[in-house]
Amino acid sequence: MFRYNFELAAHGLRRFPRSSVLVVLTVALGLAACMTTLTLLHVLTADPLPGRSQFIYQAWVDTVQGKAFTTSADMALNGVSASSGYQRIKLGDAQALLAAHRATRQVVTADVISDVASGDGKHVLGSQVILATSSDFVPMFGVSLRYGRNWSAAEETTRVPVAMLDTDTAQKLFGTANAVGRRVRLGKTLFQVVGVFSPYAPQPHFYGLDMGAYSSDGWEGIYLPYTAALDAGLGPLTTDRCDASYRAPVGSLPNDPAHCASLGFWVQLNSPAQVAGYRTFLTHYVEQQKQLTGFDQPATAKLTSVAGWLKQQDVVPDSVRLNVWLAGSFLLLCMINVAGLLAARFLRRSGEIGIRRALGAPRRAVFAQHVLEAGGACLAGGVLAMPLTWLGVWTLRQQGSEFSGLVHLDPLMFGALFALALAVGMAVGILPAWRAAAVEPGLQVKGE
Amino acid sequence: MQLRPILSTLRRHKLTAGLLVLQAAITCAIVCNVVFMIANRVQRISVPTGIAENELSVIQSTGIEKGANPQAQHAADLATLRGIPGVQSAVAVSYSMPLDQSESSSGICPSKQALDRAMQNNSIEGSGCVEPAVYDGTPGLIKTLGLRLVAGRDFRPEEFVSEGKPAVAIVTRALAQHLYPGEQALGKSMYDGDNYVLIVGIVDRLLRPNLRAPGVDGDSLISPRRPPDLSVLYVMRSAPQDRASVLQAASAALLKLNPNRLIPPTRMQTYQEIRAEYFQRDTTMIGLLLASALGLLFVTALGITGLANFWVQQRRRSIGIRRAIGATRGDIVRYFLTENFLIVSVGIVLGMLLAFLLNGVLMQHYELPRLPLFYLPIGALLLWGLGQLAVLGPALRAAAVPPVVATRSV
Repeated sequence: MFRYNFELAAHGLRRFPRSSVLVVLTVALGLAACMTTLTLLHVLTADPLPGRSQFIYQAWVDTVQGKAFTTSADMALNGVSASSGYQRIKLGDAQALLAAHRATRQVVTADVISDVASGDGKHVLGSQVILATSSDFVPMFGVSLRYGRNWSAAEETTRVPVAMLDTDTAQKLFGTANAVGRRVRLGKTLFQVVGVFSPYAPQPHFYGLDMGAYSSDGWEGIYLPYTAALDAGLGPLTTDRCDASYRAPVGSLPNDPAHCASLGFWVQLNSPAQVAGYRTFLTHYVEQQKQLTGFDQPATAKLTSVAGWLKQQDVVPDSVRLNVWLAGSFLLLCMINVAGLLAARFLRRSGEIGIRRALGAPRRAVFAQHVLEAGGACLAGGVLAMPLTWLGVWTLRQQGSEFSGLVHLDPLMFGALFALALAVGMAVGILPAWRAAAVEPGLQVKGE
Repeated sequence: MQLRPILSTLRRHKLTAGLLVLQAAITCAIVCNVVFMIANRVQRISVPTGIAENELSVIQSTGIEKGANPQAQHAADLATLRGIPGVQSAVAVSYSMPLDQSESSSGICPSKQALDRAMQNNSIEGSGCVEPAVYDGTPGLIKTLGLRLVAGRDFRPEEFVSEGKPAVAIVTRALAQHLYPGEQALGKSMYDGDNYVLIVGIVDRLLRPNLRAPGVDGDSLISPRRPPDLSVLYVMRSAPQDRASVLQAASAALLKLNPNRLIPPTRMQTYQEIRAEYFQRDTTMIGLLLASALGLLFVTALGITGLANFWVQQRRRSIGIRRAIGATRGDIVRYFLTENFLIVSVGIVLGMLLAFLLNGVLMQHYELPRLPLFYLPIGALLLWGLGQLAVLGPALRAAAVPPVVATRSV
């Protein structure tokens, strides 16, 4: 029975080739537009660290003393932007939280900028973005080491100037990826390279969003212990707020982490119980600090998951969502269009359907035949949509925006394309097919 | 033209006619909003900067010599640049250019009292202080950029400082109005936190390096301060057709003068390239919106044509009969055009309601302003035109049906 219906459907498609082509083309256009924008959304909303990010949380305690006035002229922020909505902490708190060691792993993060030179001064890379962090960063964020080792907690606390490079930076500075044992100069300090890691570029760059959320060129190529980085005079690039009493020395940036909340703090918590425990710990910590220093705002502590953080920071550009809506409405219009065409063509066959019904075909069979015909047309549209989607993605990649290089098609999206094509086929087929199945048996035969 | 027969025919094709109405309505709603969004973006990217945009080119130079005297280097560089054929004038600025993204800004108050107010409230909101973008540069800045002085005078050479804060400034008309609403700003002394700065001139317009909000985008202040660092941006003015050759010559001349410097190839740009880079996202978005609007219209036209073709084939016999009993070809064409007009009209009425609903949603999520009413008649005309054009082909084919069809049986 299915086979017979299938043959009838195929026959139906062949009978009006021009309108069949029109149906297939319209469906393909709608599907391709929709899939192209969905692919972009899929890439931008992807988990930055699959398998890890659900255990990573941002911890924040607000211990800044008094509201700082950040817009007076002596804070004319050359290059340093006072960002709002961020959740960074001061150095003292970061050190206290690190020392308390209440989470499985904990890291400090701050982006700094500096020119980087090879130890012999022969190769210089200007204005590199560098990550000042702590030793847990590599295991916690899943950075893969290629050569050498991570720096140890002891090296970090004793402020030894060590560094890790990614293979690209090592190649540029030393002409070889294995730069272990070499030295790099940042400012006036020489750092010993202890390890080399594979370029690490989670998208979005959730632990340093003000460097940009997405980048096709990767992120920081150099990691330093935050202690040694601060010793070398490398201050955080961005800062939240500073203590009201704090005034930056003339000619320098107001970013001293001792007085300004300028360090990100991330912890790894492996179970809900641990999360709850850490949250309590943070609350107690900030209340204790309030008692000690007596700052005037309410004691606030927050623990934010990576997903929650990305949502709160609204990293996916509005225009991307808008495009999905536009493409979705375009697909809807294409579907209405196709439904109209199918209805017209099914009803032209009223006579034929009437005869089939008069000869004993049940409504169900007529309905099935027409839904099959609609589904077949839409699947054909799906096949045609594949190269069109590829073309759309290619066009997106040419757009030179910060995420254009990241867009690619994966098998999942192809699966989604076919699921969508089938769903569309069923949706557009049902109404016309039902209308066709409602044709009265005898009436049509008589009429003709 | 009688509407009765058309209406009774449509009543027999409720499903297909209904789908066409729906299609016209959705297209009308979306196209109205999309065109409105395009208009908004076009308005945004065509904002004037106030400088001689098509005559300027910039080149960045970063000195890597330790212990060099930056300002002596700048003076030597500028002398070389001015000697390049085609260069009318050249200045050095630290880094700020309109729409070039690197911005230096500073809190400026009209008076000491306003500053105290701001300090008290911990905010410049409502204190009368503003936060303009600050531009600096070497003598000749106003002329080279092509700014239009509307009051006061240009800086005098002795007013330029090499370090510390200058005692005078030139402000834009927008900044003058924000600092001293309803007053004459020329000759007033602004307070910048430590000292007074005298306004000696007002220029018509100078846009910020980074746009913030329409109200404050024109708030700029020009300070007669020479760039203090080895990293500097040279701005050259030349005839538009000379810009490419000037940039090439400038790069070669600078490296010849002193090879201890980096000239990033990405920072050898005409001003128009800087501007295009700033609005790159908007331009892409305009392209996408335009493509989707055209796509929607195209698909709707396809749908109308496709259905009309079916109807013509289906009604061959009745068309033949009408022709046989005296209807002219014109009558048949008019019949189909009127039928389409009716369907599209119902769609437009529905579509206008939808357009406003959609606009409401967009206003909530994408900070879009309210859809102006005049978009609706434009959208309606567009759809009527589209419908009539799309149905014209099938209508003409219908008119070509010979009356003799009526005499044949099926």
